[in-house]
Amino acid sequence: MSERILEVKDLVVEFNTDRGRITAVDGVSLELNKGETLGIVGESGSGKSVTALAIMRLIASPPGHISKGEIKFKDKDLLKLSIEEMRKIRGNKVAMIFQEPMTSLNPVYTIGNQIEEVVELHQPHLAKNARHLKAIELLKLVGIPSPEKRIIEYPHQLSGGMRQRVMIAMSLACEPDILIADEPTTALDVTIQAQILDLMRKLQKELGMGIIFITHDLGVVAEMCNQVAVMYCGQIVEKADVKTLFANPKHPYTKGLIHSIPSFDSTSGMKKEKLPTIEGMVPSLFDLPPGCSFQDRCKYATETCRGMNGRPKLEMVGSDHLVSCFNPIN
Amino acid sequence: MNIYFYIIRRMAYMIPILLGVCLVIFFLFNVVAPDPAMIMLGKHATAKQILEVRKELGLDRPWFSQYLDIVKSSFTFDFGRSWSTKQEIVDMIKNGAIPSLTVAIPAFIIATILSIVISMFVAFYRGSLLDKMTVFVCVALMSLSSLAYILFGQWFFAFKLGWFEISGYEPVFPQIISYVALPVIIWVILEVGPDVRFYRTVVLDEVYQDYVRTARSKGLSEKVILFKHILKNAMIPIITSIIIQIPFLILGALLLESFFGIPGLGGITLNAINSSDFPVIKAMTVLSAVAFIIFSVITDVMYTLVDPRIRLK
Ligand SMILES: Nc1ncnc2c1ncn2[C@@H]1O[C@H](COP(=O)(O)OP(=O)(O)OP(=O)(O)O)[C@@H](O)[C@H]1O
Ligand SMILES: [Mg+2]
Repeated sequence: MSERILEVKDLVVEFNTDRGRITAVDGVSLELNKGETLGIVGESGSGKSVTALAIMRLIASPPGHISKGEIKFKDKDLLKLSIEEMRKIRGNKVAMIFQEPMTSLNPVYTIGNQIEEVVELHQPHLAKNARHLKAIELLKLVGIPSPEKRIIEYPHQLSGGMRQRVMIAMSLACEPDILIADEPTTALDVTIQAQILDLMRKLQKELGMGIIFITHDLGVVAEMCNQVAVMYCGQIVEKADVKTLFANPKHPYTKGLIHSIPSFDSTSGMKKEKLPTIEGMVPSLFDLPPGCSFQDRCKYATETCRGMNGRPKLEMVGSDHLVSCFNPIN
Repeated sequence: MNIYFYIIRRMAYMIPILLGVCLVIFFLFNVVAPDPAMIMLGKHATAKQILEVRKELGLDRPWFSQYLDIVKSSFTFDFGRSWSTKQEIVDMIKNGAIPSLTVAIPAFIIATILSIVISMFVAFYRGSLLDKMTVFVCVALMSLSSLAYILFGQWFFAFKLGWFEISGYEPVFPQIISYVALPVIIWVILEVGPDVRFYRTVVLDEVYQDYVRTARSKGLSEKVILFKHILKNAMIPIITSIIIQIPFLILGALLLESFFGIPGLGGITLNAINSSDFPVIKAMTVLSAVAFIIFSVITDVMYTLVDPRIRLK
């Protein structure tokens, strides 16, 4: 088995809002191995970005804070590091690509400046000239044409896809051990999306980094990931390797997600009629029902799920397959 | 586009703007305002005297040629002599500009830099007691009238402690400081309150932008994030707010100059208004219009230096 580089244990992230306190991430545990990709899927608001930001210790505080848990990167608990030590890890050992390619770059500095900045910070031995060459190299790596010219351009001169490539180049600048990609392609159109996913896979092979890949698109997960964690209302409801998860989903929510992947009927070449969707809405974190959070949308829900047994616990249902459900599918 | 070409072209736009300003001046002084001959001669003037003065002032000529007079003097900046002091107006302005600027320029620069530094600092410690106290002090400073600062400063620092002169002006080096320091300090106090409050919100708007989170995710220190990434973005709205203050700068702070007996442009304007000295008022109006245009060009050029998204058009 390959080397474990990240282990998140019982992570709890809370936000104090005007309407009261919410637990956006509630006891999440994750593992990531070197050279592998862990997918985190779930609907909007399920706590994917908050989990990712917590690993980077970038939760805006106030209003948020990490109130419990452990984030072990190699041997270190990131939550115990001083802010200076954490800064040496950010952008260097653990890098992140954000969900918003249009606004994640600073509009008043050239992309070259922004890439060189991170190299200068973590590899101070490189001379100015070498930094510049490295930035050009990185732009080439992520497939930006004529990088020598584009390096002096500003973010507004680039399309969304190009900006996301610049973000990827920036995150790879110091060859991190872990890359956290928070919906790197959601804001982009489909062809660009495919290109960027290819690129990430290729770079992963070359650099051997572990990737945490956040998305709400299970189709992309099937393509990209080794392991998958499905999140719902701040908790992981199911976790397995990709094959098992798609072949044998145990949680009704996972099953619903898999059935709502658009696909073509290969015989007729037509889109299948009427895609099944998961009915109902994600409950508000301000008033989660007692028991299982998914009960109102679940056709298998029983009295146990609605009862006073609390939220279901993650339990082993197969080798490396965990699910938190009172009534798992057989 | 070439920046020099841009500046020259923008300066050329000054011509139509000045023509418009002249039209407004003409309308205000030659159409709306009372007859200056009557003002000069008082109530008991005879019709003959009035006619003579009107002729002397050129007010008997057709309106159009009177308008052209204003245009001519605006472009040559020759407004003739003051009605009340009989001095050449150009000389009056030259003599007044120096004392005015000796107060205005240091005050303006100190206030602007101080405000930017304070607001960056409190934005860094946002939400802390320090931040809240600063906002409170700003509001407190703003809610006192400028008169209160002037009178208190003159009584306490100048009269009681004897640190400064109470009023007056002496244009030689070390002495000048004791005359100018107090008005400069008061000016700074008056400006820092509103400036800090505004700049602080500008900086705080930037603090929560996505690019700041990106900068943090690279491992940059808060200091670099604040002074490299945030400051340059925050400068864009800050520059705009600075330009708005420029015209006031040119005329000097009327109250400060008159209370501290500084023989600057503010005092000249105030006297001119009191004595209906039309040529002086016209000259000051044209002067501030020209200054405003020049500074708006400077602002636009500064924008392009700060914000790459803005192109000179
Ligand atoms: N700064 C914040 N203040 C208050 N609540 C927040 C904040 N950031 C996130 N939350 C809350 O945390 C919950 C999880 O948000 P998160 O951004 O992790 O969702 P997500 O799974 O990434 O969704 P999406 O697919 O839309 O990106 C949401 O309910 C959100 O309202
Ligand atoms: Mg998100």
